[in-house]
Amino acid sequence: MELTTIQFERADGVATITLDRPAQGNAISAELVADLKTVCEYIEDEVDEKVVVIRGAGGQFCSGIDLTDFPVDDKPNVYGFGKWESACRTIERLPKVTVAAVDGECAGGGFQLALTCDVRVATERAVFHLHEVREGFLPGMGTFRLSKFIGLGRARRLALTGRRLRAEEAQRIGLVDHLCPDSGLDIAVAEAIEEFGEINPVAIELCRRLFDESFEMPYEEFIGSFLAAQHRAIQTEPFLRRVRKAHGVA
Amino acid sequence: MVSVMDTELKPRLISVGTANPTTTYTQADLLELFQCENKLIRRFFTNSHINKRHLVLPEPDEEGAMPFEDGAALIDKHLKTSLSIGTESMGKCLANSAITAEEIAYICAVTTTGFLAPGLSAYFTRDGGLRDNVHRVDVVGMGCNAGMNGLLQTSQYAANNPGNPAMMVSSEICSAAYVFDMTVRTGVVNSLFGDGSAAIVLLASEELTAKDGPQIMGFESLIVPQALEEMRFDFVDGLFSFYLGRDIPYMIGDNIEKPINALLGRFGLKRRDIKHWLIHSGGKKVIDAIKYNLGITEHDVRHTRTILRDFGNLSSGAFLFSLQELTREGTAEEGDWGVTIAMGPGISIETGLIRW
Repeated sequence: MELTTIQFERADGVATITLDRPAQGNAISAELVADLKTVCEYIEDEVDEKVVVIRGAGGQFCSGIDLTDFPVDDKPNVYGFGKWESACRTIERLPKVTVAAVDGECAGGGFQLALTCDVRVATERAVFHLHEVREGFLPGMGTFRLSKFIGLGRARRLALTGRRLRAEEAQRIGLVDHLCPDSGLDIAVAEAIEEFGEINPVAIELCRRLFDESFEMPYEEFIGSFLAAQHRAIQTEPFLRRVRKAHGVA
Repeated sequence: MVSVMDTELKPRLISVGTANPTTTYTQADLLELFQCENKLIRRFFTNSHINKRHLVLPEPDEEGAMPFEDGAALIDKHLKTSLSIGTESMGKCLANSAITAEEIAYICAVTTTGFLAPGLSAYFTRDGGLRDNVHRVDVVGMGCNAGMNGLLQTSQYAANNPGNPAMMVSSEICSAAYVFDMTVRTGVVNSLFGDGSAAIVLLASEELTAKDGPQIMGFESLIVPQALEEMRFDFVDGLFSFYLGRDIPYMIGDNIEKPINALLGRFGLKRRDIKHWLIHSGGKKVIDAIKYNLGITEHDVRHTRTILRDFGNLSSGAFLFSLQELTREGTAEEGDWGVTIAMGPGISIETGLIRW
């Protein structure tokens, strides 16, 4: 697996993806999107670690889409946005616990990347903002995701104004789950992972999926989805082990 | 036996045509016609996620009730309706291709909703204008998965006989297998199935491209014999009465990964490589079970849901109705991989891999 714009490490039960373009604010280039997709597929197929942490190099998370990817002398197209969204969706569907470890700037597509994760841990100096509308384009599928976290009114205001949100305020409105001192990100990430206890990948994947889908369908349809997903979950070894334990059977 | 996979020239599915009886019923229409007051049975109808179905039902009597149809009447209905919509789907299928009826070298007729001798393939040969030396086979009694079993046979003929078009016609007159005894057992069945026919033509030829249709790449089957009794016909008071076990969706969910993993594994593919999923519209619960066990999306099952909503469960031809929807949508591109899945008595899960 050859990666040029991200680093990938595995240690102590955690797989870590580090966006590694510090000189460009870890901006999302076509190459970075391809690398992210490659590493996510590798994680899905080959990696036993149950936790994936996404972070940025050089004291910043991600400054958003790299505008130098667009040509000066040709008509811009949307294909790159499609590929970026596909990478985001892959992260969102990983059968792992996903943690965004946010330090410094978390803007535009980077903000969206953080939203694809199960948990967001941020340093006090982290800043979240959607700058796209101010710059004449759209905050990607952040338009789809953000209001599910903080409500339509807040999400729309943040996207339309591009207001910079400090980590403390982001925590107050439910965007950040764990706030930590600037030097304490690694400890805070470890604590956030610790909260999950035993990680059951099938249950994690299905539960996350049901929450996402709960916005898309009425109760009468959703109950069928829940039962189908629950049936799958209760066939897995972790659940069956609990049942045996409840019965006092080894 | 040479399997489709082993031949260098894979046949392409070059055309599909479908037909249904002209009479349609909403679930509310049917509850009124059946004069059903049982709350549980009514719930099967109202929670089915089916808007309407095409069915051939007798005119109500003076009191608005549906007259009894005996076994002979049902067999007669099966034959007459099959000939009507079967030949219509054949005609549409041929009209969508450059193949004439006389060029068809092989026909496979598929049905589970009526037993006939001679089989439907003989009638389709006569009424569909096929030549008198056409090779014929009838796949009878295999249920909703039978379209896939027929596709395997038809594909093998086409693969081994390049240049010779092979046709498969599914004709399911589910209204010829209805029993109205106001039991929960028949209520489940009567709330679900619809009448329809789907015809396809397969051809192996060097001259065909992805634009002509997907290639048939391979198949994988699974039978779960311990669930043999879960979907079956019983002969009750002179009529075939279909039984659907309560746990079928979950059993299919439990087993669906096995054939899919084997099929994709043979080609070095992952599920994320599959762009198009053509799944039998068996009912809402079974679609949900497949969706959550394979980890596929609502977008992946959109055609499956549409066919269920607009036609009910069409048994063996349902996945071909989904294929027709996909063809109309026009989103399949050269190089795309697709998977077909049909589930039925056995219980069996039949899967196939196609590529544009």
